[in-house]
Amino acid sequence: MLSRAARPALRAGSVATFRPATAAVPAFQNANYATLREIEGRLKSIKNIQKITKTMKIVASTKLSKAQRAMTESRSYGKTSNAVFDEAETKPVESENKKVLLVICSSDKGLCGGVHSGLSRAARRMMNEEPADYDVVVIGDKSKAQISRSNPKDIVLSFNSIGKDVPSFADAQAIADQISLLPGDYAQTKIMYNQFDNAQSYHPVTLEAYDEESITQSPNFTAFEIDDEVLANMREYSLANSLYWALAEGHAVEISARRNAMDNATKNAGEMIDKFTILYNRTRQAVITGELVEIITGATASEDM
Amino acid sequence: MAFAWKAAGLTYNRYLAVSARVVRRSLKEDKRVQAERRGEMELRFARWENGKQGEQKSLETANQKAMSEGAGQSQ
Repeated sequence: MLSRAARPALRAGSVATFRPATAAVPAFQNANYATLREIEGRLKSIKNIQKITKTMKIVASTKLSKAQRAMTESRSYGKTSNAVFDEAETKPVESENKKVLLVICSSDKGLCGGVHSGLSRAARRMMNEEPADYDVVVIGDKSKAQISRSNPKDIVLSFNSIGKDVPSFADAQAIADQISLLPGDYAQTKIMYNQFDNAQSYHPVTLEAYDEESITQSPNFTAFEIDDEVLANMREYSLANSLYWALAEGHAVEISARRNAMDNATKNAGEMIDKFTILYNRTRQAVITGELVEIITGATASEDM
Repeated sequence: MAFAWKAAGLTYNRYLAVSARVVRRSLKEDKRVQAERRGEMELRFARWENGKQGEQKSLETANQKAMSEGAGQSQ
């Protein structure tokens, strides 16, 4: 639909760009100079773009090591925090009428490949394949825009201005607080984020956080001797821990994806620059040859006279 | 209630954040500047109702407000 609509416009556009050249046929030399100038302009703009992508790549590379360090730290932190639930074999309580809270950890900034859209797609797929009453909390503007197009009714909260720097635990705590202030009673809280496999690949995964009922009903819960009073604290704290883990890992994935995307962009720009330089030189040579031919013809013609 | 901060309407996370801030502020000058950067939080958030985004507000002030309201209820 879009391509069909775009095509006439494109054709009109290409006609419009060709028109000056065809109109300038009488002044043949001028037309050649114009295309030469056009190629030069394009070459220049591509070079500028390459400079920008190169700089962004360097920035992302320097940020990457910091982000990865934060990620490994937060991962061990989150795993330790969730070890309690693993040992207690906590499972979400099965009930029909309770809601599921889905927290999507993306960020505000783009230009990093398919990080955000992959996350949104995974969220949508989950909502389709495991139908339940979902409420969605979106962290980051990019996924917010995408989810608000497909499931605007499900969104209850959105956070932004994240992803400027490595996420701090204070961020995670504040988000966890705001989430725990939500009026709904959620049987399950699923935190969705991009897991870091290696520098090249990542995939969206979910992390579970539990409500108090699920924790108390887990099989090995008594082994830990947790008082009822501190149970709510533990739940809030573990939610913040999990969120911190998800945010830090998602951030590392984003930075590494941005590095890769900018690396590719720089390479592509380099290819285009090569192509255009050859074209530019050829055209320039053609113009010079043409001029020479004209001069020589003129000279020989006047000699004969 | 066993916890004074709970009676004051704070959540555990808030309580932790406040105590962490106190510790950071009591550090020596050079270390303090470094540490306080870890406690910064500039998030903004918005509530959504029926597919419409509400007003964007600072999360810090909203949390503080919510906590103080919670304090009013528990007393």
